[in-house]
Amino acid sequence: MTYLIGIPTIALLAILQTSLVSHLRLLEGRPDLVLLAVVAWALTGRGHEAMILGFAGGLFLDAFSAVPLGVSSAALVIVAAIASYSEGQFWGINPIMQLAAVLVGSGVYYLAVILTLFATGQPLDLQLAFGRIVLPGVFVNLLLALPTVQLAEGLLNLLHPPRVTA
Amino acid sequence: MLSQFSSKALLASALVLLAGAVLILNLGGYLGPAQEVILSPLAAGQDWVSQRYFTIRDLMTSPRDVATLQVQISELEAENAQLRDQIIALQEQAAEADRLGALLNYARTRPESRYLSTNVIGLDPSPFIRSINIGAGSDRGVVHGMPVLTDEGLVGRITEVTAGTSRVQLITDPASAVNVQLQGSRVDGLLAAQPNGELWVELIDQNAKVEPGELVLTSGLGGTFPAGIPVGHVVSVRRRDFELFQRAVIQPTVNFDELEIVLLVAIFQPLEIAR
Repeated sequence: MTYLIGIPTIALLAILQTSLVSHLRLLEGRPDLVLLAVVAWALTGRGHEAMILGFAGGLFLDAFSAVPLGVSSAALVIVAAIASYSEGQFWGINPIMQLAAVLVGSGVYYLAVILTLFATGQPLDLQLAFGRIVLPGVFVNLLLALPTVQLAEGLLNLLHPPRVTA
Repeated sequence: MLSQFSSKALLASALVLLAGAVLILNLGGYLGPAQEVILSPLAAGQDWVSQRYFTIRDLMTSPRDVATLQVQISELEAENAQLRDQIIALQEQAAEADRLGALLNYARTRPESRYLSTNVIGLDPSPFIRSINIGAGSDRGVVHGMPVLTDEGLVGRITEVTAGTSRVQLITDPASAVNVQLQGSRVDGLLAAQPNGELWVELIDQNAKVEPGELVLTSGLGGTFPAGIPVGHVVSVRRRDFELFQRAVIQPTVNFDELEIVLLVAIFQPLEIAR
């Protein structure tokens, strides 16, 4: 059930990221919708599902991108694995931990893409990339982190209502 | 707890290995058809969302049109909601016809070339890469390397083609390079985008007198682009006595943030090498 809804949703987010969100910038930063969705789903305690959704989301993103197919998948699986580390921990629901998960997730994702671009010979100015792409991108992701987690928790309750025992 | 952690680590490792395998197969060129299968349905959705986005953006960014439209819409709403939708749609078509008209006029001035027009359906999701996706592919005769332009000037060239879509590497991408000529001083140079998005014309002869405001055109050398396509205007020139060449910073003629329809040059007359 999760994948029936999750994979089309991730595909839709990838479409929105390329055709809509890429045009909208806040302080030069663009939100990474697929990354946010994967981290948020991992934070709800569905780590395994988040990793598979991250893999699929990465394929969708790379299909639209000049980044080689598979790079974003690997990065998003790692991001989901890191974010799901808090699964079952009492501090996992702490908003600061949720922000930290998005911060680390964004960092890992950008790092993976930068390393791949270096490996494929794409010219890149690290200082400028950090100042004008990574930092603004992480900032926008952090702004959207808490609402996204709330949304994911709402969706989780809809898909998997908590069992009530008499 | 431990088993859950190890099962998660196992799944993560398996998926990362799978992604690595996909990456290797893709770099080897074995996943072209698979990528096309993923991209085809997504591109249709991307095209649909892009068209709606451009419609809304046009309405938001044209104050005079919005004011007129608001009056019209308020009257029409009172009459018929369906008619309102039709008017918005017709206005968008008219704007599109204007843009196509401008492109057609451009094409008419160069009858020796063959053109193909298409919509921009999306931007590269990676902020490190400056490329766009367009809604035409090999089904419509698009091939790798085709120059892409608008009536304002050069946009880039095709770097990837699927059946229904193609990827265009913009001239603002740091990996792109274009042979150009400065119109006034008639000297050749190499257009190279910088990672910060600036466009520089490099390898300009140290003795050439380059003035700010000068128009930069494609030179046609190398046969990658037709000659004479506007690329930008010189903003400033950096000339140092101890360097072999001078360089110029240029402002592109094309507004890359507002690309909606582009022209692909299907056939053009390559420049004679002994010109």
